[in-house]
Order: sequence, then C-alpha cells, then structure tokens
Amino acid sequence: MSMRRRTLLKVIVLGDSGVGKTSLMNQYVHMKFTQQYKATIGADFVTKELQIDDRDVTLQIWDTAGQERFQSLGVAFYRGADCCVLVYDVNVMKSFDSLDNWHEEFLKQANPTDPRTFPFILLGNKIDVDGGNTRVVSEKKAKDWCASKENIPYFETSAKEDINVDAAFHCIAKTALANEREQDMKQYGFIKQWRFGYDHYLVLHFSLHSRDL
Amino acid sequence: MQEAELHDLSDDADYAASQQQGSPSIMRCDSGKKSSSSEPEGAQIVYLKDNVTIHPTQFASERISGRLKLIKQGSSLFMTWIPYKGQSTNAKLSEKDRNLYTIRAVPFADVRSIRRHTPALGWQYIIVVLSFGLAFPPLYFYNGGVREFLATVKQHVLLMRSAEDANVFLVNDFQNPLQRTLSSLELPRAVSIASVPSTPVSVGESSSQQNEERTDVSASVPQYNGRQRQKGHDPARDISIQVLEKFSLVTKFARETTSQLFRETHSNGFGPLERRNSNQSALDYSHKSSEYKEDVPVQSPVDPDPLEFDKLSLVWGKPRQPPLGLEEWATFLDSEGRVVDPKALRKRIFYGGVEHKFRKEVWAILLGYHSYESTYAEREYQKSIKKTEYETIKNQWQSISPEQAKRFTKFRERKGLIEKDVVRTDRSLSFYDGDDNPNVNLLRDILLTYSFYNFDLGYCQGMSDLLSPILFVMEDESESFWCFVALMERLGPNFNRDQNGMHSQLFALSKLVELLDRPLHKYFEQNDCLNYFFCFRWILIQFKRSGSWT
Repeated sequence: MSMRRRTLLKVIVLGDSGVGKTSLMNQYVHMKFTQQYKATIGADFVTKELQIDDRDVTLQIWDTAGQERFQSLGVAFYRGADCCVLVYDVNVMKSFDSLDNWHEEFLKQANPTDPRTFPFILLGNKIDVDGGNTRVVSEKKAKDWCASKENIPYFETSAKEDINVDAAFHCIAKTALANEREQDMKQYGFIKQWRFGYDHYLVLHFSLHSRDL
Repeated sequence: MQEAELHDLSDDADYAASQQQGSPSIMRCDSGKKSSSSEPEGAQIVYLKDNVTIHPTQFASERISGRLKLIKQGSSLFMTWIPYKGQSTNAKLSEKDRNLYTIRAVPFADVRSIRRHTPALGWQYIIVVLSFGLAFPPLYFYNGGVREFLATVKQHVLLMRSAEDANVFLVNDFQNPLQRTLSSLELPRAVSIASVPSTPVSVGESSSQQNEERTDVSASVPQYNGRQRQKGHDPARDISIQVLEKFSLVTKFARETTSQLFRETHSNGFGPLERRNSNQSALDYSHKSSEYKEDVPVQSPVDPDPLEFDKLSLVWGKPRQPPLGLEEWATFLDSEGRVVDPKALRKRIFYGGVEHKFRKEVWAILLGYHSYESTYAEREYQKSIKKTEYETIKNQWQSISPEQAKRFTKFRERKGLIEKDVVRTDRSLSFYDGDDNPNVNLLRDILLTYSFYNFDLGYCQGMSDLLSPILFVMEDESESFWCFVALMERLGPNFNRDQNGMHSQLFALSKLVELLDRPLHKYFEQNDCLNYFFCFRWILIQFKRSGSWT
C-alpha cells in the first residue's frame, strides 16, 4: 500500500447557543452561509482534509449544542480532542461571560494530560452585524481574557461574510497538530488505540447521520 | 395414503388459515430455490411427529402437546405445529393460547437456524429461530425424533452445521444480509466475522441457556458457555423466552434498517466502507462456510430479493396502509364521539397515519390533550375552558414590562434562547418561512408560555422541534399549547437539567440492542460508543429531523 499516513485531528467547538458555531464550521468546510440553520442538538461533526507542513490531515470538527443543559453530554464528545475552539458573539456580553465556564468545563470533562498546555483558540464571531455598532465586547477585552489563559490565540470572525474563518481554522489545525505530536510522544499507545476505535464509531455515526440529510 | 393426508390438511382449520397467511412467502421461496421435486401442485407430508410439546410455563399441567409436520409444497418446505384439540391435560389451555403457540406453515425460507438439544437425561428438543429473529419456544420431542427431523429438513433445504456451535444448524445461511453487512464492516479492521454469532442464534441461546436466575431482561445476556445442562433444568421456565420472542419482532425491523443503512452507505460511497464491494464481502462469507459451496454451487449470494427489502412500503413488517380516512375514523367513535377501542385506533394509525384534514381532531386525542373517553361536547367545552386558561398563563409573561425585565435575568435569558431557536426551526417550510412570519411568533409565544406553565423545566433546545409540527397541524395557539403540554407530560424527563430521561432511555436502548442484536452491540462496544450518544438527537426530538413532513 502506498497510502500516505493521514493524521486525524479532533476539534471541539464550544460556546453559548446562537453564537454561530455551526455557521463557522459550515463556512469553513462548505464555504456556505445560510440563515436557515437548526439549533444543534447533541453534537454533529464535519470533516475537512487539508495539508499542513506537508502532512495530510483530516480535521474532524465537532459542533456541540450550546445550551448549558446539554453539557453533561460533553464528556463523550470532548474526549480525545486535540484542540478546543471557544466561540462567543461580540454583540452579546453574556456569551463572552460564559467563556470561563466553557473553558473550565472542557478541561474538567476532557481531562487532558496537561490542562495548562492544552490548546484553545478563541473566536469572536458576528463582527459584521450592524457594521459593528451593536458590538459590546471590545477586541482588547477579548485579548485580555486570552492573555489570562496562557495566551490563547484570538481571531475576530464573521461566518456570514467569511471574514477570518479560513485563517482561524488553519491556526486551529496547526495548533491541534502540534498538540497531537506532543501527545503521541507522551502516550502513544493509549491514544492510538483509542483513535483506532473511534474511526469506526465515526463511520457508523456518519452513515446514520447521512440519513438525516 | 397421500390423499388421506391431503384430506387431513384441508380439514384442519388452522392449516387452512395459515395457507392463506403464508401465501406471499410461498411465492417468494418458490422463486428462490431450485426445485428438487417434480410435483407441481399439492402438499406432501414428509415428516410427522406426534407428542411434540411446548412448555409455556414450568407447570406440567400447562404443557401443550401437538403434532409437528414438515410439509412439502412445490419446491418449498413448511413446518407446522398444531396443538391437539380437547386434550385432557390442556384443560386450562384457552383458544388464545392455542393460537399464540400454533406454528402455522412456516416456510423454511424464513427459518434462520435450528438449535438441537439432545441431553443425556430428559427430552430432546429443538429451538427454531426465524430469519428475522423470532424464536419459537422449544419443541420437546416426547417420542424422540430430532435426528430424523433434521435429516428430513436437510433433504429439502440447505442446512449446515454452524461453525461456532455443533448443535446449531443454519438454514439458507447465505441469505442473511446482516452477516454480509458485518463482513463488510469488518473491512476497516474491526469485527472478526468468525467471532460474531448471528443474532437469532444468540437469541435462541439466551432462551435456552439462561435459567431462573435471569428473569430481568435488562440484565445482560450471558454468553453461551457450553456448560453441561443440569438435570431438571427446563428452559421454558425462563420467563425471558417469551419476552425475547416479543422483542425479537423488533429485531427484524432493527436489523433490516441497519442493513438498509449500510447499503445506502455503500451506494453513497461514504468512507472506508466503500473500499470493498459486496462481491468481496460475499466471498469472505462463503469462505467461512465451505459446506455451503458444495451444496449450492449455482446460487451465488447476490443482492437480496428487492421485494423483501423494500422497507419504505413496510411498517413494522407489514405493508403500509392508506391513511385513516374520515369514514373509517367515524367507525372508531360511538355516537357521542368517544373512541371505543383506543388500542385498535392507535394500531390502525401506526400502520397508515391519518389524513391531514382531520389530524387536528385525532392528534388532540393521541397526544393526550383530550381523553379517549371524551365526547364531542366535552372536547368542545374543554377547548373553550382551556383557551381562557392559556390566555391567563400567557399573560403572566406578557405583562412583564421592559423595566421589570431588566431586573429579571432568568426571564430575559429564557426569552432570548427561545427567540434564537424559533427562528431556526423549520424555516424552510412555507408555513414558517419569510421575515416576521406570524407562525414563528406563535412558536415563541407558546414556548415562552410553556416555560411559565412549567417554570421548573423551562425551555430546552429540541422543544421547538416538537412544537412546530403540532402548531402546523392544530392551527390554533391555545390548542397547540395544550397538545404540547400533553406531549411534554411524556417527554418532559428527556429535557430535565440532569438529562436523566435521556440517559435512562439511551441505557435502555443499549440493553435492547445487546439483547436483540448482539453483533451490533459488540461492534458498539469495541468502538467505545455504548453510551449511545449518537442516538441522542433521534430520541430527544423523536426522529423529528430524520424525515420530511408536510
């Protein structure tokens, strides 16, 4: 077999309901924006294949339900993540205030080997709304928050206008890949074995899911 | 002799009835098998055994004896087991029991496997498992004859010993689509086909191998461990046999759906599944069972009979009926509008649905807003009373001024969440599309009112999905609200903060699959998804997003 090794990277997208998690994901993967999304229930995922530093990477992006009531599901979806993307709406203060909770909850449930170095990325979405006039969270405020959390990379995005979406996800993939390498070295056996199983779950999940379309 | 037998059959009411019932299967199996008999028409009894008995309970007095026959008709072989009439020990045996246990001309094309038990002590018995997972209760051969029975079967249909268990004989094994599916699933590198017992066999095993200690179906099914059967152990004492029989009806549906899904996956070319085509998986399969090559050199395991697998036209194994029409609906009601037989009504609707124009009337009853016993007049009366009540509750939040709302975070958050969701609910349907759609506002008002009616539960994502079709059907704000309230009486626990309802249902689902479709269960287990979260959305919103409506 001359097939090249492809690395699977699992990315979890978290944030309050309606901040645009599904839209960001779809803009990135399908290059589309529609007003007709449905609220995510449980979790969905999409995959995108890309090359980073000459490596074939499959980015598997998990979109989760935003309502805090679904958080108890988290543990199943968070496990094995290589990167966590936090999203808030720059026009909704509450969605920014919730970031601490999402951050904490993720670390608690995903339980990564080293919580301090586990890669997060923050996206401030919907910067297009009303020409920025309804904005309530300043860029500085967001960056300060990032600085307080081991310098999380920050992007301001618009899923609707496709602003910064590619750049943000490219950064996400790179970060996840870097983390993956590190994880591989630390606990090769466990992760590989786990992933191995996971692939099948995905195939199944995806095929079942495809029926919903 | 033969004439006498034919006469015997035609006299037998049960047999006559079964002939009618079984006719589609006869056609199917005619086309499937090579004819070894030159007899064009008519039935021929090729095996007959008296005093073949089932043990519905542990009590000897309740045993039912009957006559087991193998009947050859054309190229097809059928099995019947008819209880004796007016047998003295069967005093308690009701007509219902007789009908329940009677085996009416089961074509061997529908038989998956036969498990043979020939203990050193006690009676020989067999368990016949049908291809869709139903297992008949053990048939005890009081006068012996199991060997002869199997030998006769083997003369007429493809029978081969299971590679995993010498006491299991597989019938028409190549027809099992799930096996093929599993062998293709294996490709990415998972399940070894050899380690996957077919589901019906495991059902049979569980019925025979579990004894008294296991009466709870939610407990896991122990693996067959080949231990010596203890003297006096009677598998029929295990209550789970009957339970499993009932459940196994579900298996057919579940497994067909599974195989359907995987076929679609094949044709859609998703993922690694497509790497191998069905030919290859079929080869894998035939490799496993070498006997089968010898026996059926001509027949290659090609695609299953399209008739048999046309799932869309089947509801729970039966052809879909036309929607319940107005005239027929009237027959379910007495002169004052009470539903006379709720169960029959639900069953009718289950198999065919309801014509849209009076869904309104039927749904209000089905959802539990109106009781089945209510009359036309009572329903009208309730409608007006409930309208006032709805307005009162709605007024509770409508009267909250903007000033008050400023200091009412909970209310603002709840309202915000609902507003975010209603604009994302079924907007592609004309009923809900466009800016400032009044129906979208109705969704919001009803949900917000509900979150005051049931403040503890509040609003949870998924509720808008459930309300949307109700509003579409009921076309009335208050009526929709009360129907939704009735629905949430049933589904409320799914939306609880601790997700208790969901977790217990997902757990129950995992246990059901474990019982009914062990290979699938194993597959989930190996792939670390026994939490069944991939079914979360389906259950939470009752498959609402899984099909199209309107």
